[in-house]
Amino acid sequence: MIESYLLHIGILIAIYIILGVSLNLALGFTGLLNLGHVAFFGIGAYTSALLLKAGVSFIMAFFISGLIAAIFGFLLVLATRKLKGDYLALATLGFSFVIYSLMLNLTELTRGPLGIPGIPKPVIFGFKISGLLPYFIFVTILAVITVFLIYKIVKSPFGRLLQGVRDDEIGLKVLGKDTFKLKAKSMMLSAFFAGIAGSLFASYITYIDPSSFSLAEIILIFTIVIVGGIASIKGTIVATFIIILIPEALRFLYLPSTVLGPLRQIFYALILLGILLYRPKGLFGRIDLE
Amino acid sequence: MAFNIFVQLLVNSLIAGSIYALVASGFSLIYSTSRFMHFAHGVSVVIGAYMLFQMYSLLHIPFLISCILVLIITGLFGYLMYKGIYSPLMKRKSSSIVLLIASVGLLILFENLILMAYGADVKTIGYIKGVHVIKFLGAVITPLQLVIIIASVLLLVLLWLFMHKIRIGRDMRAVADNPELSEIMGLNSKKIMALAFILGTVMAGFAGILIGMEQNLEPTMGMGLMIKGFTGAVIGGITSVPAAVLGSYIIGGAENFGVWFLPSGYKNAITFLLLFLFLLFKPTGLFGLNKGVKK
Repeated sequence: MIESYLLHIGILIAIYIILGVSLNLALGFTGLLNLGHVAFFGIGAYTSALLLKAGVSFIMAFFISGLIAAIFGFLLVLATRKLKGDYLALATLGFSFVIYSLMLNLTELTRGPLGIPGIPKPVIFGFKISGLLPYFIFVTILAVITVFLIYKIVKSPFGRLLQGVRDDEIGLKVLGKDTFKLKAKSMMLSAFFAGIAGSLFASYITYIDPSSFSLAEIILIFTIVIVGGIASIKGTIVATFIIILIPEALRFLYLPSTVLGPLRQIFYALILLGILLYRPKGLFGRIDLE
Repeated sequence: MAFNIFVQLLVNSLIAGSIYALVASGFSLIYSTSRFMHFAHGVSVVIGAYMLFQMYSLLHIPFLISCILVLIITGLFGYLMYKGIYSPLMKRKSSSIVLLIASVGLLILFENLILMAYGADVKTIGYIKGVHVIKFLGAVITPLQLVIIIASVLLLVLLWLFMHKIRIGRDMRAVADNPELSEIMGLNSKKIMALAFILGTVMAGFAGILIGMEQNLEPTMGMGLMIKGFTGAVIGGITSVPAAVLGSYIIGGAENFGVWFLPSGYKNAITFLLLFLFLLFKPTGLFGLNKGVKK
């Protein structure tokens, strides 16, 4: 009993590490104020769920969900290329609202608020990953790969250029770099990983509906990145453990679930406000959010 | 027949637009003086509505006194948000993005506090009972809805008079127009900002009262109202209160006339789409000035 509970928490932590680190790539390392990351997560989850239900193999569904999310990432950068600061943040927030209302209203495709039940567990090379322990190992491996890839990306010359976009976009343009292309690549990579996180989430929970991809979820992912620190991969990983684990302690107070849900949200909001007020660079960040 | 429907949709647009305009006017008042997007404004409306429920429906305080108490509480709430969160952040020269994120944090915080205190089930205030309706050119309108339209228009006119005819209101517009210059001329911009927060949140309280009388209350309705009010403000022009009001009526119209062509489930999607399109192609809005919006 306690074992399966811990495995469940472990799986969630692995999925949120993928989400947090990929958001940090766009937000922290490239300076793209994206409040629409949860939309990529949702697009990935729905794409994967629909493909799996249609009988597509898991590996295909997994990669296609990342690719579709990346295409949306490209469209978002393309549409918002002239916006900065609050306006970029709001346009990306608007984007996640549009995606959310499409999930609710495209009932022929998404079944609206009823959601999609019975999403199959992954089958890889004939091996079905169905128990909690195999799934935990599976998502942990993928989280490690994601962190490794994003770490390699930000340490590469390409990663340095991304940080150049964040710190001095005009300077980079003077040097003849196409900053739009850099932003688009960063956002597409970020969206790709959010999309595969969605695929992993859908196959784990086996049921998705639009409420899993709402505003509260944006706050959760955003809080993780800000608490950990802008442009700090280590920070995001540590923060994911803190943010996911601490509210779990509330569970042992044996409160009714109608109190537990709001209490968790209150906790996230208070942590977010506390960090902004008293430690704006987060736990491990070196850069201010601008 | 088609004419009847047209008039009915027009009436519905006016009702929706009036409520959005009250939300948008307070939001835009706060934005124009402090230059950041105060998203928690949506929860101020919800607090107004739930306080009316607490005072009038639970404590049985007479309606008018309940309303006055609600306005005092929301005004105080606005002041505390400014003093407790925003002012310390501004003192540290936080960017408008940090303030925006803090405001979303405030929204989530208070939404969930209300959810814990009152539960998720729908509440009704039921001040005006009965289904007596007025017929007007084939359209149907309840007396309450008429009250909502008239009260909002009256409030918006009062706000306009305050900002143009009274000294402190004019100071407020001066700070909105050019913060540095007003500071040099001896205006205390911090005091003006605090005042804008109080006044803007009182407007949200009014909106809460009117919504509480007309609709069922839900703790999560703040976000939806905020998006409507905010979209209204963006479409009109966020830095100007009258423009934000006009934009809100446009939203009310677009939503209600949109259901002529689309299923009613798309009512919210129409708003999101308009918001997205305006942010992309005309972030200064239809009537707004391009002042400090794009840096």
